[in-house]
Amino acid sequence: MSPITLILIAIGLGLAGWLAGRAKAWSFQKGNPDARPVARPTYHAWYVAIWIVVPVLAFVTLWSFIAPQLITQSVLASPGAQNLPAFGFERDSWLAEARAVALGNAPGVFNAGAEPLIEPFREAIGRYNLIGVVLTIMIAFAGGTFAFLRIRPDFTARTRVERTVMIVLLLASLVAILTTFGIFASLVFETYRFFSLVSPVDFFFGTFWGPDPMSSADNPDGSRYGAIPLFWGTLFIGAIIAMIVAIPLGLMSAIYLTQYADPRLRQWVKPALEILAGVPTVVYGYFAALTVAPAIRDAAVAIGISSASTESALAAGVVMGVMIIPFVSSMADDSIAAVPSAMRDGSYAMGATKSETIKKVLFPAALPGIVAGIMLAVSRAIGETMIVVMAASTAANLSANPLDRMTTVTVQIVKLLTGEQSTDHPTYLSAFALGFALFLVTLVLNVIALRVVKRFREAYE
Amino acid sequence: MTVIHENMEDTGAKMKARDVSVYYGDKKAIDDVSIDISPDYVTAFIGPSGCGKSTFLRCFNRMNDTIPSAKVTGLIELDGEDIHSNAMDVVQLRARVGMVFQKPNPFPKSIYDNIAYGPKIHGLAEKKPDLDAIVEKSLTRAGLWDEVKDRLEDSGTALSGGQQQRLCIARAIAVDPEVILMDEPASALDPIATAKIEELIDELSGRYAIVIVTHSMQQAARVSQRTAFFHLGQIVEYGRTSDIFTNPIEDRTKDYITGRYG
Repeated sequence: MSPITLILIAIGLGLAGWLAGRAKAWSFQKGNPDARPVARPTYHAWYVAIWIVVPVLAFVTLWSFIAPQLITQSVLASPGAQNLPAFGFERDSWLAEARAVALGNAPGVFNAGAEPLIEPFREAIGRYNLIGVVLTIMIAFAGGTFAFLRIRPDFTARTRVERTVMIVLLLASLVAILTTFGIFASLVFETYRFFSLVSPVDFFFGTFWGPDPMSSADNPDGSRYGAIPLFWGTLFIGAIIAMIVAIPLGLMSAIYLTQYADPRLRQWVKPALEILAGVPTVVYGYFAALTVAPAIRDAAVAIGISSASTESALAAGVVMGVMIIPFVSSMADDSIAAVPSAMRDGSYAMGATKSETIKKVLFPAALPGIVAGIMLAVSRAIGETMIVVMAASTAANLSANPLDRMTTVTVQIVKLLTGEQSTDHPTYLSAFALGFALFLVTLVLNVIALRVVKRFREAYE
Repeated sequence: MTVIHENMEDTGAKMKARDVSVYYGDKKAIDDVSIDISPDYVTAFIGPSGCGKSTFLRCFNRMNDTIPSAKVTGLIELDGEDIHSNAMDVVQLRARVGMVFQKPNPFPKSIYDNIAYGPKIHGLAEKKPDLDAIVEKSLTRAGLWDEVKDRLEDSGTALSGGQQQRLCIARAIAVDPEVILMDEPASALDPIATAKIEELIDELSGRYAIVIVTHSMQQAARVSQRTAFFHLGQIVEYGRTSDIFTNPIEDRTKDYITGRYG
């Protein structure tokens, strides 16, 4: 019997407990209308239901780990298991086949040797299913009875239920935080392994990037792991070209939308702009690779640059800039709109025109929010992968010419991890060092952005 | 409709409103109001909340233009010129008719830049010393110079509420207006700061035509020489402040100033 069935049983019993708890709590009130119970009947009901469902869920989780092992053990103890191969893949596959047949997931076994194991599996599965159900019901009844007996008019069911809810919420938020720590820890560990093979000086200051997956893993050539071209490519595409596109366009659209646009137009344009942020980046990648990059190449050839290629940093950067316009404009829009209208009125009352008011009062007052929006946009841009993969190639060039092929940190990470390297090889490990560097940079940018936003909020309260 | 006291004998009108109505969407907030604003005195608009006195005040420098749903009809003149005519630029109008708001709203800039803002946008000062002189003169007239002369580079928002409001008055003075509109300028301030603002209004009157909206009758009595009593979007009674408070003609005025409602 699958855990799903056990969970359904638990929910059914929980519902029964809920109704029983509520009935008991109601009976208090009916019997003594003058008394004011500490909690309303639904809280008593939830209290009973929680005491049924939570222990059962804990048991089911545990049982789903233990039961298969118990089943396998009892099968191994059966006489049919005498002929099993001693160890290894073969033994496991026989067992898996017999289990599949016993569960009805497969029509028959491939290895004849697994045949005698089917019947013991059937028996064991049936036995342990029964045990599982009985234990589930017993636990549910024990929890339910315990809770049911505690229900009294003066029992503080509400505070207990609320505490449970709070714990559930806490666990939910811990999942995200712990995941972040987990990612960080794995990055740190692998990065440490990389730096024990390749010197950090080579990595952070070397200007040639060309890891050779065929080279010896024990004695890597540090001069092939210079990450400067990657950092430069990331910076040039994500933080320079993309920002040259995104900042002016984003700010101008934010100013238009907050200050000039008719409210009805704004109602349409703002969501439309925000949809841009929801377009999958791979779609932007098509756009960059198939439309923008050839157009840029043609334009470059037309003005006499014959060496221009269809893969250029400029194409990737421009499309990336378009992609992050909504980030810039949305934050700028919000922070301009958040400037108190008293500032605007004050400026108009001095005889300032609309553009003077925007330039000299609204914009400076909204600047912290705008800067924060740009920071977030930059950290988004330098973490972007797909567009660069499709439009800017994987060639690590250290060049200031936007028409050159260039690559970024994220693209190299993809390339390094999708190849067929051993997990001990420095080529593979270098991906973690790159990821770690990227993680730190975006973390710092985000922290700065959040601090700036916080200061900005305080300024007007 | 409006009862106008006969004995005012004002020497002409700085601003004139004739049959002015203001609509917010379909709602009529001001209903056919006419009044002459004297150049020599402080005129107070009093009345219960929601009677339209602030809305009417905002007509004089066309601040209602900034509210998309607001529509103003009727004639308003400044020195005989129609302020809604094409010949009158709203930027010029607001330079001549300054405004101080209910809540102090200094820009989040330095004290100096707050004052220099208006002169800069209107090109009143060619050189830095000229600008310095305007800043000093404006702050001095607003009674703030001695308090802030050593920290002109501090942010205007770091001042106390009362100082901020005097900064806003200094800011309005800096572009050398002819009329100053004040929309409940002391309602967000404590009594001491309020007293300073009232003193300042007294000193400024005569040099500028001042119109002040207030819901404090004591304040109107203390600072103004002319009072208009608003009720439900209309002026009920307009006359010398002393007459309005001691000899009101209309029953509604009498009821309001004796505190029977409002």
